[in-house]
Amino acid sequence: MRQLRYIPVSILLCLLLSCAGAAQEKPSPSTRQKPSPSAPAVNADAATLADFKGRLTKYIELQKDLADDSPPLKETSDPAKIDAAQEVLGAKIRAARKDAMPGDIFTPQTRALFRRLMYPELKGEDGPETKATITGDDGPPKVPLKVNAKYPETQPLPTVPPNLLARLPQLPEDVEYRIVGKTLILRDVDANIIVDFMPNAIR
Amino acid sequence: MRRVIVTLLMCALAVSADARQLKPPIGKPDSIKFAVIGDSGTGDQHQRDVAKQLTERRAQFPFEFVIMMGDNLYGSENPSDYARKFEEPYAPLLKAGVKFYAALGNHDDPNQRFYKPFNMNGERYYSFKPSLTGGVRFFAIDSNYIDKRQLDWLDKELAASGSDWKICFFHHPPYSSGETHGSSVVIREQLEPLFVKHGVTVVFTGHEHFYERIKPQKGVTYFIQGSSAKLRKGDLTQSELTAKGYDSGYTFMLVDIKGDELSFQTISQGGQVIDSGTTRRVEVTTPEGERPVTTPIPKSRGSSPAPARPRGQTGRDQAAPAQPGR
Repeated sequence: MRQLRYIPVSILLCLLLSCAGAAQEKPSPSTRQKPSPSAPAVNADAATLADFKGRLTKYIELQKDLADDSPPLKETSDPAKIDAAQEVLGAKIRAARKDAMPGDIFTPQTRALFRRLMYPELKGEDGPETKATITGDDGPPKVPLKVNAKYPETQPLPTVPPNLLARLPQLPEDVEYRIVGKTLILRDVDANIIVDFMPNAIR
Repeated sequence: MRRVIVTLLMCALAVSADARQLKPPIGKPDSIKFAVIGDSGTGDQHQRDVAKQLTERRAQFPFEFVIMMGDNLYGSENPSDYARKFEEPYAPLLKAGVKFYAALGNHDDPNQRFYKPFNMNGERYYSFKPSLTGGVRFFAIDSNYIDKRQLDWLDKELAASGSDWKICFFHHPPYSSGETHGSSVVIREQLEPLFVKHGVTVVFTGHEHFYERIKPQKGVTYFIQGSSAKLRKGDLTQSELTAKGYDSGYTFMLVDIKGDELSFQTISQGGQVIDSGTTRRVEVTTPEGERPVTTPIPKSRGSSPAPARPRGQTGRDQAAPAQPGR
């Protein structure tokens, strides 16, 4: 009779142990429903970067297609040939992207992400030095902030601080980041045109 | 009294003439000889004056090539600008077969890399070896845009080079006593670890429109040569970094390397030698089984010797061709 009294206790212990084992193998429903707070942001950032990369890839493919039918940019002793190749490619890109708008590549999501990525370098210990590198000795160059505009050849190309470049996604060789005042520019290196731009990137 | 005045005049003339002479040890036979210019592409009279002096000096010091620190073409870059700001001032040198190797400055369109007389092989950064036997390799860096791709390239290139002398040149000075710019700290943070890691001994830069030789930093001797056509008078405030500075006139440098010695003279557009010295590489004995290491010991006037510390490996490059980057 005394032994019978332990039966419910044993059953209860067995149930508790089995529950504990199950808890180790699988997250509880409450855990599954509450992922870590950073996970959605990480996923959103990854999606934003993938979207940026996709838009950029489309541009690069277009640029390469147009470059194939243009005078080649190759080593020459005649600077007129470099000039002509750049001008022809620039004109073709402008024609092919005549409806391009600001934000086609630097979407609102990308802009928000890039600002967040650069923030530690601009507000941290190296912030003043980073901003001084961007400003240069002559202040911001006079550049028309328009998609498809030619980057004025009389204006300097401000140095992009390497600590900022390290924060931003690596670009293909055909395009580069440049910073004019507070605006981040996506510049086509071969065609010397502004592909897109992002105001108030530098804060 | 007249005799005293004549004697003083003769002494002054002798000193003046002496100041214009190449001082030993520069100009050693069979050395690698080159010149350094920076921020040169104005197309104005100052550029032409420096170019003329450079040409005249070549009669005494037959340098084979010139390295350019960037800002090769200020302002517009039309074909006529290439002529006015490069081809015409340096025409006698180009005609004599002197090669120019350019780095990009913040006033330069990266498409200058396609201009053959700049010898960039279509790349924004590259390396070259001027001689099969000299044991020297130069690395031209694009300091306007130091991204991961370029850093990886530099790390790999420096590691692969067995040259005794690894010399880097680019536009922005990691160390500077200039009022306008000062040291490019964010660029230094990226490049200096690679220089130290791979035994780079000498670095030439521009950007600041004056001349400054920096006391060796972590075993690396830095030169700023950014006054070959532009000058910012009074911009240099001598600091604890400064081994020698000059912001009163336009300058260029003549350099030769033979064996473990690199000798240099910095010359004004008027022909005055304003700085000179020698940096020597010294072999350091290492325990058996380890690679020999080197350390630079500057002997130049006004500089304090760098502490002896083990650095990069020695050896010889097997091949001379330029190694393109991007």
